[in-house]
Amino acid sequence: MNSIGEDCNELKKQYDACFNSWFSERFLKGQTDDSACAPIFRVYQECVKRAMKEQKIELREIETEYTTSSEYDNSSSSGGKQQQSKS
Amino acid sequence: MKIWTSEHIFNHPWETVTQAAWRKYPNPMTPSIIGTDVVERRVVDGVLHTHRLVQSKWYFPKWTHALIGTAKTCFASERSTVDPDRKQMVLKTNNLTFCRNISVDEVLYYEPHPSDSTKTLLKQEATVTVYGVPLSHYMEDILTSTISTNAGKGRQGLEWVIGLINTEVQGIARGTDELIHNTRRSIDEVTESARKSMDEISTQAAKAAKAMHIT
Repeated sequence: MNSIGEDCNELKKQYDACFNSWFSERFLKGQTDDSACAPIFRVYQECVKRAMKEQKIELREIETEYTTSSEYDNSSSSGGKQQQSKS
Repeated sequence: MKIWTSEHIFNHPWETVTQAAWRKYPNPMTPSIIGTDVVERRVVDGVLHTHRLVQSKWYFPKWTHALIGTAKTCFASERSTVDPDRKQMVLKTNNLTFCRNISVDEVLYYEPHPSDSTKTLLKQEATVTVYGVPLSHYMEDILTSTISTNAGKGRQGLEWVIGLINTEVQGIARGTDELIHNTRRSIDEVTESARKSMDEISTQAAKAAKAMHIT
């Protein structure tokens, strides 16, 4: 799958490959340390953020929600549906 | 507002389905998804949290273009959690760029089947709301049909990816080309029938619009 930024495709491919093997070989087996793909993730992230800026894709509302919801706290702004998922 | 729900059982364990869910795109069944990017990802208390940006192209019947504009590239925001202890994967998608007139919210839940842990239960809900345009109900109906068609294709797409993963696991590298070839052939039939049903919807919608002197 391509990235939204054409020049991020190669980085994305590398990161996805790293993530997919981490997810199946480690995370699903109970090892939650995610530092293995962190370096490539950082480089890929910088590229994506740049591409988003260039294409004027705004995630502002969502990012606001993020920071105010104490980093993925389950009882965050989108309350109703999130709770459903717990039931 | 229109709400659509559906359930589907995959004959594969939860671990396989969740792996496939990350690799769902690209697949030949959902060519409308043209890009995905991870914007944020981290593990908090053993739960994997991911925020992705999903780029897609939606095509609507021509008569709707005057109301909502032609189908352009759309960006949706997908937030997900994977809890390996509880074996639950939840993906919530909100569309970013239809925001002005249309809001589509979708939630997917992947859990082991309650009575058979070798299978996975997928629950889907979508909420469609169209604001401030004429014929809102028709628009919502059309979008809901589109989602329904797309959801079916999404599940077939996931099965296709699971097929790929299982092939990889068995180490049959040669099989993949064949699998893709065969899948493409059967997909053509699916796409054709999906296209036909979209045509039918737009014909009906155009008739209704004409009757109301919209066109």
